Parts: sequence; C-alpha cells; structure tokens
Amino acid sequence: MPWFLKVKHVLFLSSIGLLAWFIPGGGHLALNEKKHAIIIFVTIVLTFCAGLYIGSIAVIDPVHSKPWYVAQIMNSPAVAALGRISTAGDYTVYGRPAEIGQIYTSIAGLLNLLCIVNAVYWAHLRRTETEVNSNVDSN
Amino acid sequence: MSIVTNLIIASFTVPEKIGVTPQSMLLLLPLIASITIVYKATKMPKIKFASFVKEVVILFGSIVVFMAATALVLGALAWLITE
Repeated sequence: MPWFLKVKHVLFLSSIGLLAWFIPGGGHLALNEKKHAIIIFVTIVLTFCAGLYIGSIAVIDPVHSKPWYVAQIMNSPAVAALGRISTAGDYTVYGRPAEIGQIYTSIAGLLNLLCIVNAVYWAHLRRTETEVNSNVDSN
Repeated sequence: MSIVTNLIIASFTVPEKIGVTPQSMLLLLPLIASITIVYKATKMPKIKFASFVKEVVILFGSIVVFMAATALVLGALAWLITE
C-alpha cells in the first residue's frame, strides 16, 4: 500500500474514533449502521444520565476523583464541561449515591470506549475487505 | 428558563437518597442491562429485533445467575468464618 493511502486510512480510522467519542454511536452511524448507532446512543446516554440523576453532577470530579474521571470522560468531551461546572459550583455528594453515581457514569464511559474500538475495528475491516475485493476484480 | 427546565436541571444537582440496604443492590440490574445491550450491539453484525432481544435476555440472565451464585458462595464463606 502506498504511503498516502496508509495516511488516508489512518485519518479515516481516527475520524471514526473521534466521531464515536464525541457522540456515542456516532462512529457506527458514520459506517451506516443505524440500528447499532441508535441502540448504543440510547443505552449509553441513559446509563450516564441515570448516574448523574442518582449522584448529581458532583460525581464528575476531575480534582478529587481522577481515576473515575478518566473513565467518565470516555463518554464524550462534553463531560469535561460538566466537570468544570461541578468543580466551580458548590456540589457535594457522599456515601452510597456517590458510589452508585460514579459507577454508572464510569461504566457508561467504558462502554463507549468499547464502542469506539468496535467502530474503528469495523471501519478497518471494511476498508481492508474493499481493497481485497478490488484486487480480486482487477485480477 | 421555564419551570420544567429548572426542575430538570435541579434534579441533576442534588443527589438521591439511597441507604445502605439490601434493596440498593437492585440498582445493579439496570447497569447489567445496559452492559448486556451495548455488548451485544457490538458483537452482532446484523441486528434483528427478535434475535437481539433473545441474545440480550440470555446474557442478562447468565450474568444475574452467576452473580447471585457468587454472592451465595461468599455469604456462605463469611457465615462459616464468623460462626
């Protein structure tokens, strides 16, 4: 494969990954997998919102709960904005609600990470299959 | 902003009251459901409603049964050690 095609392929995979990160299910939508995209979007957003509802936005704490925050930010870059609001405001949460809220929001983030990897993998497979098919046709 | 919008935003700024009770373990079920749905969505190349629901229910049931069995074993162990 010539170098410019490799670069194009890497850029394509990166754009799919970024899209999947910005909007849960966005990567699958770009690959024209509408059903997958809708299921992923609804499930991840609902899980994340359930976590926020149970524990309030105080569960997003980039200062005191960094490891949780790393998992939470996998949901979308919008989580960073929520983190800023949470640290700037006077929001606190302790005990069971904090625990459950953090678990829900972090699991939602990790599920989105799984979807990002899956979308990038499918994009790679499709491009490779297209190349193999075009090579077979030309031969 | 309307009252409804304010109420929605307010519900995300105050945590819910959840005690450390056995019932609070039921909050595990929606989480297992979402994990199962997303996992199956990434594993199935073509999604058909009936087969998707069937696969999700099977995996959801397996996880719940396995966790219940693990809880029983750990509970029995704790009971044996403390009694």
